[in-house]
Amino acid sequence: MTDRPTLDILQLTVTLRGGRKLLRDVSLKVQPGEVRALVGESGAGKSMIGKAVLGILPPNIKPTEGEILLDTHHLNAMTPVTRRRTVSKIASLIPQDPLTALNPVRKIGPQIVDPLIHIHGWSRDKARERARELLDRVQIRNTDRVLQSYPHELSGGMRQRVLIASAFAPSPRLIVADEPTTALDVTVQKQILRLIRELQQETGTAVLFVTHDMGVVAKISQRVSVLFAGRVMEDAATEDVFRNPQHPYTEALIAATPSYSDLNRSFSPVPPALIADLHAKIAAEEAAS
Amino acid sequence: MADTTLTAPRSRNRGLNLRFWLPLFWVVLLILAAVFAPWVAPRDPLAQDLFLERLPPFFMKGTEPGYWLGTDSLGRDVLSRMIYGARIALIVSFTAATLTCIFGSVLGLVAGYFGGWWDTVISRLVDIWMSFPPVLFAVLLVAVMGTGLWSVIAAIVLIDWTRFARVIRAETLVQARMDYVDSARIGGARRISTLVSEILPNVLPSIIALLTLEMGIAVIVEAILSFVNLSISSDDPTWGSMIAEGRGAIYFAWWVLLFPLIALFLTVLSFSQLGEGMKQRFDPVLQ
Ligand SMILES: Nc1ncnc2c1ncn2[C@@H]1O[C@H](COP(=O)(O)OP(=O)(O)OP(=O)(O)O)[C@@H](O)[C@H]1O
Ligand SMILES: [Mg+2]
Repeated sequence: MTDRPTLDILQLTVTLRGGRKLLRDVSLKVQPGEVRALVGESGAGKSMIGKAVLGILPPNIKPTEGEILLDTHHLNAMTPVTRRRTVSKIASLIPQDPLTALNPVRKIGPQIVDPLIHIHGWSRDKARERARELLDRVQIRNTDRVLQSYPHELSGGMRQRVLIASAFAPSPRLIVADEPTTALDVTVQKQILRLIRELQQETGTAVLFVTHDMGVVAKISQRVSVLFAGRVMEDAATEDVFRNPQHPYTEALIAATPSYSDLNRSFSPVPPALIADLHAKIAAEEAAS
Repeated sequence: MADTTLTAPRSRNRGLNLRFWLPLFWVVLLILAAVFAPWVAPRDPLAQDLFLERLPPFFMKGTEPGYWLGTDSLGRDVLSRMIYGARIALIVSFTAATLTCIFGSVLGLVAGYFGGWWDTVISRLVDIWMSFPPVLFAVLLVAVMGTGLWSVIAAIVLIDWTRFARVIRAETLVQARMDYVDSARIGGARRISTLVSEILPNVLPSIIALLTLEMGIAVIVEAILSFVNLSISSDDPTWGSMIAEGRGAIYFAWWVLLFPLIALFLTVLSFSQLGEGMKQRFDPVLQ
């Protein structure tokens, strides 16, 4: 019982119409109470993994092989309707861009409360109470005023707090956080990151945390998957990855993060030559198979 | 910081108020005139009087009391004809614009949100449709279907649904990419209800703006069709037919042409201004 993962992705392949594989044989697990970081360059397919789990892949992109187990449910074997119902009860999302993640023409209150009523079957009073409680928890003052506001009346940081509150409100088993701090400025980033970590620890929710920043990986996660061109390059405990990276790409990513590289060395971005080299290797492998 | 950026557009809106209220005043006046035409019109719009032909408007010499804007070459009262003309103009404009709006917007929403096969078919159809010259298309249609109120309305819908389809598709595409749509889907919403309850409210300001603009366009199209004598039966007074009749007498009875032209101009202008104003009023982000 204890070692059954909350999320278990087994050799998932996701294909774009026309045949291009955006993810290839991706496997990863998130254990209950664990934060799994997912790093990689832009376009590696990090968001694609989150979307495949949550069932929000664009219509021209389909999971073609492999399995996704969410809390023992075989998602890929389900009909769309049951899949959506299952996922919405178990998982939620903290999206990347707080500007577009809230519907601009709807007030904050209903946007938090409605899913609690419709999906989780709570009474309106209970849902409202829970929304207030969580807004309090994410340090929003004037919760009543915020519930009555439209998204554009709040700052970016406030909106991200609202989204965090909304994600944690139904006490989900899994939260997918897709670069939840990239759109924010540095000081706000730190607060938001701390908030997510605190709430995660209090609730014991499993989190799949997408980022491209090894500094964030070190702060928040217990395990990490390194993704490159839709493949998992490395999967290890966060500590081990920093101490002893197994893959040259991981090494380069760590070196590219100022506070974790050798302080005497100057900051160095991931060398383009290395990326080109890896892409060439992958292309060769693909041609061979 | 956030507060100053919020107040700036608000104070600008105050400056625009006149640009919203003046057009609204004109349209309301027009609606009242149209609804109460039998009571408001000083004369029978169809009554001819050959002794009173080409009377000038009230501010000139040689007028008869009661014929405020003069008479045409058959001695019919211009003001009364204009008031009855407003009836037809408004019936056509509201009905045609609403039908155009519903038809075009639904197709635009479906193409923009469902994409794939839907989008391919609808977008192709729009492209092909738009390659016909619109006025010629309308004239042809009415010529085939015969004149009458419903032919005019059908012609307008058939010409102009593409405007809605195109614009609303583009806006829907933008909205569909937003994260809040994903959030709604994860929240368990079905695709169709996501479209109706999440996306539609966001494109509604544009739909309303287009709708009012379309009302102005419908007035013009109706006038053009009347002008070439293809609209409602030639007995009913319409602004377009008045302009057509006034054209022949422009040098000695310019008022027959000028007053309906001004009414047409003000109406079209008012609708397009109202469209902009409504968009700002209905959009919580712009407000
Ligand atoms: N709607 C789409 N249609 C076609 N290709 C897509 C679509 N969305 C993403 N892709 C492709 O899928 C790949 C993975 O995209 P994904 O969004 O998962 O990247 P990511 O790792 O999240 O990058 P980022 O850090 O920039 O968010 C990219 O190569 C991208 O070009
Ligand atoms: Mg991404």
